[in-house]
Amino acid sequence: MSNLEKLNNIFCEVFGVEPSALNEGFDKNSVEGWDSVRQLSLATSVEDEFDIMLDAEDLLEFTSYENAKNILTKYEINL
Amino acid sequence: MAYWEIKNVSLRGVTGTVPNHPVKSADLPFFTKEEADTFDNTVGIKNRYIASDDVCASDLCFDAAERLIAGLGWEKNTIDVLLFASVTGDFKTPPTSAILQDRLGLPLTTFVLDVPMGCCGCMYGINVAGNLLSAGTAKRAIVLVGDTAMRMGNPKDKSRGPLFGDSGTALALEYDPTADDIIIDFNTFGSGFQALMTPHGGYRHPVTKESFVEVDYGNGIIRAPKDALINGLDVLSFAITRPPVSVKKMLEHQGLDKDNDVDFFLIHQANKLIVDRLVKKLKLPIEKVPYNLQKFGNLGGASILMLMASEIASDLSTRKLTLLCSSFGLGLTWGTMVLRTRPMLVLPINYV
Repeated sequence: MSNLEKLNNIFCEVFGVEPSALNEGFDKNSVEGWDSVRQLSLATSVEDEFDIMLDAEDLLEFTSYENAKNILTKYEINL
Repeated sequence: MAYWEIKNVSLRGVTGTVPNHPVKSADLPFFTKEEADTFDNTVGIKNRYIASDDVCASDLCFDAAERLIAGLGWEKNTIDVLLFASVTGDFKTPPTSAILQDRLGLPLTTFVLDVPMGCCGCMYGINVAGNLLSAGTAKRAIVLVGDTAMRMGNPKDKSRGPLFGDSGTALALEYDPTADDIIIDFNTFGSGFQALMTPHGGYRHPVTKESFVEVDYGNGIIRAPKDALINGLDVLSFAITRPPVSVKKMLEHQGLDKDNDVDFFLIHQANKLIVDRLVKKLKLPIEKVPYNLQKFGNLGGASILMLMASEIASDLSTRKLTLLCSSFGLGLTWGTMVLRTRPMLVLPINYV
C-alpha cells in the first residue's frame, strides 16, 4: 500500500467517507463533524501509521486534506 | 516566582464520592450507537456518574469529607481550614465553603475559602491550604474538590456534555515539620480565557432573556449564552503545548528521572487523546500513568484526587511515593506539582 493510500484510509476511517471525497476542498470548514476531537484523532492515527511525532503547530494545522499532505512531506513521508 | 515550595505540610488522607448513577456514552441523548462507540474509542470516556438535579457538588464533597474526617479520627474542632474548589457552588453568594463549615460541624474559627478554578482545582487547593498551614499557625486543613459540570452546559451541546462526570473529593492536609516540600509550578494565560467560559450570568453580562436564546453552531452544538462552552481547537492548542513544557521544566528543576524517580504521573483526565498526547510527547512510562477517565469522565479539578483514590490507593496507603501531577484548565491556567507522600489513609470511592 502506498503512503498516499495509507493517508486516504485514515481520512476515510475518521470521517466515514469514500476516497473519492478526498480533494482540495476537504477541510474543516466544509466537512461535517470536523472538530478538535476528530482532528486530534486524525493526527494521532497519522503519527501511528507513519511512526512520526508531529510538532504541536503542525498538529494544529491539520485542518484539511491538503494541509495533511503538505505537513507529511515535512516529515519526509513521500506521498 | 520560579516555583512554589511549600514546607511542613503532609497529606494525611483522601477519598471521593460519586452519585450512584452510571451513564454510558450510548445512554446519552447526543449519540447514535455508532457515534457512542466512536466516542468511547477515541475520547475514551465510556462511563460517567451523573448527579440528579437536586444534588450539588457540595453534597458529594460533604459525604467525602465526613467519611475522611471520621476515618482519620480527627476531632472536628481541630480543623482550622476548609477549602471548597469548585465552579458549581450551591449559590452565587455566599461561598459554599461557609455553608459546608456549618454542615460539617466545624468550629466557628474555621478559615473558609471557595476556589473556583476549574480543572486546576486540586492544585490550587493544595497550594492555598499548604501555604496557610506551612507556618504552623493553622494545623489541619480539609480541601474539598468537586463539580457537577454536566449541568453547566446545554443538554444539546454534543461538544461538551459527554465529557464530564460529577464527583466530590476530600483531601486532608496537616502541619508536619518532617514533611518533604510540595513543589508547584503554576502558570496563567489570561488572554486565552474565552476558550472555556460561561458568557452570561456574571456582572459583565448578567442573565437576561437573551441568555436563553439557543444558537445552532452545527456539528451537534446547540447552546445559549447562559451555557458553559468549550472552544475545542483553542483548548486543544493550549493543552498540547503548555502542560508538557511545565512538566519537563519540573523534572529538570527537581532533578527527577522520569523512568526511575517518579512512582506515578497523575495527569488531569481531560480526555484520552490529550492525556495520550502528553504521555507520548514526554515519553512517560505508560505503566506509571494511571487513567480513570474511562470510568468517571473528566472530573474537572477533582481529577487528580480521584486518580489517587481510585487507581493508586494501595500504593498511597502502604509506601512512600513521589507523584508528579499535571493540571490544565480554566483561565487558562496550568501547572505541575511534585508530591512526596508517606503512607496515608485512602478510603474507597463511595457511590451515593
